[in-house]
Parts: sequence; C-alpha cells; structure tokens
Amino acid sequence: MSNNKVIEFTQVVKDYGRKRIGPLDLSIEKGRIVGFLGPNGSGKTTSIRLVLGLIRPSSGSVRLNGFDPIKNHIEALKNVGYSPELPNIQSFLTPEELLALVAKTLQLPESARQEETRRVLELVGLTEYAHVKVGKLSKGMVQRLSVAQAMVGDPKVLILDEPMIGLDPAGTAHLREVFRSFAKQEGGTVFLSSHMMNEVENLCDYVIMIHSGKLVTSGSISEVTRRIMGSLAITIEASGLTPALLEKIRKLEGVTNLTFDGESIEKIRVETVQMRDSAGSEIDLRPKIVEMIVQSGAKLYTIKPSDNLLESAYIKALSQSEFAEVASQ
Amino acid sequence: MRLGIVSAFALYEIKRAIARKKVLMLIAFVLLLDTLPYYALATSSAASIIPSYLYPYIWIAGVLIPQPLFIPFVSIFIAAGAMSEEYEQGTAELLLSKPVSKMEYLMGKYIGGYLLLLLILLTSNIVSLISAYLSFGPQADVGILPGAYFVNAYASLLFFSVAFMVGELLRRASLAYIFASALLFASTILGFYMDLIYTLTRNEFYATVQIYLPSSPVSSLPVQYISSNIPSVAQQLLSALPIGGSVEPSILQSLFLILAYSTCATVILVFYFRYADVSRRVS
Repeated sequence: MSNNKVIEFTQVVKDYGRKRIGPLDLSIEKGRIVGFLGPNGSGKTTSIRLVLGLIRPSSGSVRLNGFDPIKNHIEALKNVGYSPELPNIQSFLTPEELLALVAKTLQLPESARQEETRRVLELVGLTEYAHVKVGKLSKGMVQRLSVAQAMVGDPKVLILDEPMIGLDPAGTAHLREVFRSFAKQEGGTVFLSSHMMNEVENLCDYVIMIHSGKLVTSGSISEVTRRIMGSLAITIEASGLTPALLEKIRKLEGVTNLTFDGESIEKIRVETVQMRDSAGSEIDLRPKIVEMIVQSGAKLYTIKPSDNLLESAYIKALSQSEFAEVASQ
Repeated sequence: MRLGIVSAFALYEIKRAIARKKVLMLIAFVLLLDTLPYYALATSSAASIIPSYLYPYIWIAGVLIPQPLFIPFVSIFIAAGAMSEEYEQGTAELLLSKPVSKMEYLMGKYIGGYLLLLLILLTSNIVSLISAYLSFGPQADVGILPGAYFVNAYASLLFFSVAFMVGELLRRASLAYIFASALLFASTILGFYMDLIYTLTRNEFYATVQIYLPSSPVSSLPVQYISSNIPSVAQQLLSALPIGGSVEPSILQSLFLILAYSTCATVILVFYFRYADVSRRVS
C-alpha cells in the first residue's frame, strides 16, 4: 500500500445475512477532505464502522493508516478522531469529564490533558458549557461536543459521520471552518459522510459515492460531476462583461453552452466538456476563462462550479446505479 | 494491557453505574436493610426472645442475611447493564473507536463494576456492625469481619460474572436483568426443593444437584467461614438464621464451584466480546 493512503478498502464485503454490503474498493489519500455520499442504507455507516475496526469484514481487507483496524486496533486508530452519527454521548458526564476520559485513552500526559480539553472546547465554542452535564446540552451542542472529542490529541485523520446534523446555520458554518483549518495542517485528512450536498460541495475537494455498498464513482467534485453529467457548469460573476467577450468564451474549445444565470449579464453559466491534453491530463478551462475576463478589463468577482451541480450529479448517478442493479438482476 | 487505560475505564464504569437511579436505589435499600431490622429488633419485644449472650454476635446476622439473595441481586444490577446499556445507548462505539484494545475496555468495566460492588458490600458490613453496636451494645469477635468480607466478596463474584456475561451476550439491558435474576431465583428455589426432597427421600442425587447449583456455594461459603471462626455459644445464632439447607457443599467445594462458574462465565464473555462486532445503538 502506498504510504499516501490513509484508508483503503480492497474487495470488502460485510454480510449481515439479510443485507450485504460490497464488494467495495476505495482509497483515500492524505490531506484530502473527502465527502462520502450515498442514500440511506447504502453502507456509509457500515463502511465507517469497518474502517474503525468496530465490525469485521466478512471478506476483503480494510486498512487504516496502513494497519488492519481489527488486528492492530491501537496502531490503526492512533491519530484518528471519530465523531459518530447522532452522537450518543454519556449523559452523566460533563464535556470536561468526557474529554478528560478521551485524553486518558489517548495516553496524553496528565499535565497536557487540561490544556487539551480547554483547546478543543474553545475550538467548537463550548467553553462555557464545560461543567454542564451532557444530558442537559442541546442536540447541536452534543454534536459539537462529539466533534470536540474527535479532535482531542490533535489527530491527523478525522472521520465524521453526518457531522452537521442538528446544527443551526451558525454552528454549521463554525464547524465548516474548524474542518477547513484542520485540513490545512500537514497531512490532515477529513473523511465525512453527509446527506447535505451543499455542505459537501462547499467543504470537500474529493467525493466518493456508493450505492448498495458498491462504489458508484469517486474523484474531485469537478471530475465526478463532469463524468456523470457529461459537462461541468461554471458560474461566473463579474462586472463589465461585454457581448464580444462572451462570444469569445462561447467559442473556446470545450465550451458547449453559455447562458445568463438569471436576468443579469453580470452572472453567467458556462458549460464545458472534459478535455485531455496529449499526456492524458484533464484540461481545466477555468484559468483560461479567468485570463480572458481579466484581460478584457472586466472585474471578476467569483468563479465556481454552479450551485447544486453535485446534487444533480448525485441524483443522476444513483438513478443510473439503481437502473444497472435492476438490469443485472 | 495498559493499566492507566484500564483504570480510566474502571473509574468511568463506577461513575456510570452510580449515575443510574436503580443502582442508587439498591444502595439505599442495602443501607436500610442493615439498619432498620436492628432498630426494630432492639425496640420491640422480640429483643427479649434473643438470649443476651448472643447480643455480642448479632452483627453476624447483618453480614450474612443479605448474602444469599440480596447481594447477588445487587451484583446482577451492576453487572448486567455494564455492557448492554452501553450498546443500547450507543456509547460503546465512541469509546471503542479510540486507540484502546477491546480487552482494556472490558477489563476496565469489569473491574470498575466489581469494585463498586465491593464498596457496597463494605458499606453494608460496616453499617451492620455499627447498627448492631448501637442496638445491642459492644460486639465480639469483630476481628473475623475482614475475613468474612473477603469471603462474601469472593462469593459475590459468581453472579457478578454470570450477569456480566449475560449482559454482553444479550446486549439488551432489561433482558439481561431478567435472565440473570431468573437464574438466581430459579437456582435458589430449585435448591430449596432439592433440599426438601432429599430430606424426605435421602436420595443422594437431590443432594448432589443442590450442591452444584450456583446459589448453593454463594450462600454456604460465608456461613461456613463465620461458623468456623466463632465460639460454639454463637453457633446458635447461625442455626437460627434463614440461610443454608440440610446439605451444603464443603468449603473447598464452595471455593471451587464459585471459581468454576465465574471462570466459565468470564471465558465466554471474553471470547464473545473479542470476536463479536460492536453493536450499534439498539433503542
């Protein structure tokens, strides 16, 4: 296994008798923020539990940090923080007590435990609730505490199962920033399952889609959307766009369509097809478009993949996957 | 096995068990059981029925009476929920996703639960002694109390281990309480019938069955220990207590049976926990 891979599944099957997940092959490289997508019952949580060594695969191999999480549980789980779905945290403990327990399980020196507890409570905005019993905290606070306990000991890998559930918009934005800053540290990897496409689109640089425990597709958001939708739509906001410039962009090789997004000429949507250079690498048209806008004297405000693109790709991918499944039966 | 982590889980388990209202109620009940009967005996006409030469040994009643049924019942309440409640509440997943071994988690919870039981037993014994002193004056041969405490603690291991195993196997707290309690009561009732049939028929088979029932060594061992360490004048008190039958295992048999039952339960517990998946939240 490459040292760069944090999580690796090879032909993993989990057979529950009534239900079977897999065979699943996937890998996650260091330093990525990976969105793990799939409908309810597709095997996301099962896959996460396999990664953490909470359940055994019926066949195949799972590796976390290069170790088998069942046979080498301690080594595999070192530097890994996990926040479970709908966290059920010990209601009789206070956040401070829970974090102290987690710090003990990580064998942090006694002198560092208090400081670490303070750090993570501050990170998730729960400092003033340090001494309140978990049973008295709101759902959103429990969710934040769950993230806090995952971040004790400064892990290198964060595994998050639906981390935004129960959070208000401010809480969601706060945690998004927490995850982003975490990923900025060297080798910091985030693996999060979520149903919230906007969140995944905003936060992740890589997505993995599964259905019935099988990999549907994976790649960067632009790769995945282009692969599924056949094109990548980009929304550009700029002032001073001229009809001549728009015509030039429309005529660029790889651009299939250019439309106004709404009524304003200052917001356009450009659809592009995937193109590769002679070496087989994907050609990204965005730098070229940015260059054309800037050279024309127009002011560029934003350039980003169009909203809901991932959601559309996700829905399309799942319907194709379901169709393929039915067809194969 | 890292002791620091085992002790962290042990402390966690004690805290968890104490946070449960039913365990707190049982502790309160133990204290009532160790005080009210003495007070009632001392202040009613019943006190005159007890020969005054037995007054210095009345503490023995408080130490022995809860042992056959009540202390095993407390053991079951602590042990049956130790694993199963964590599965039901989904909290096991959080702890086992840390870099700790399953054995560290299991040992910590087992030791923590058992330490809490020992603490309750110690409190019960001390409160009994104080109540006996306050109600019947100075107590004699108190030097054997530590020995009696350890014997009681050893005997309590049997139902504690069985209930712990049942909780892990069933992974449903209420089912585990019911099953382990049913085992205790069935064994006690069956022992009573076996004893009765043996008394009537003198058929050794019934005596043997009674000896090997799990409740038999648990109730016999503490009586046998105290009986062999008090003067003959105090034996009268032991025979008046509603403990034991006409057939009892020997001390060695009791020691062996408790060890055998506890070891079997613990081996099954360890084997199952090591190889079974960690259940998701079930209720």
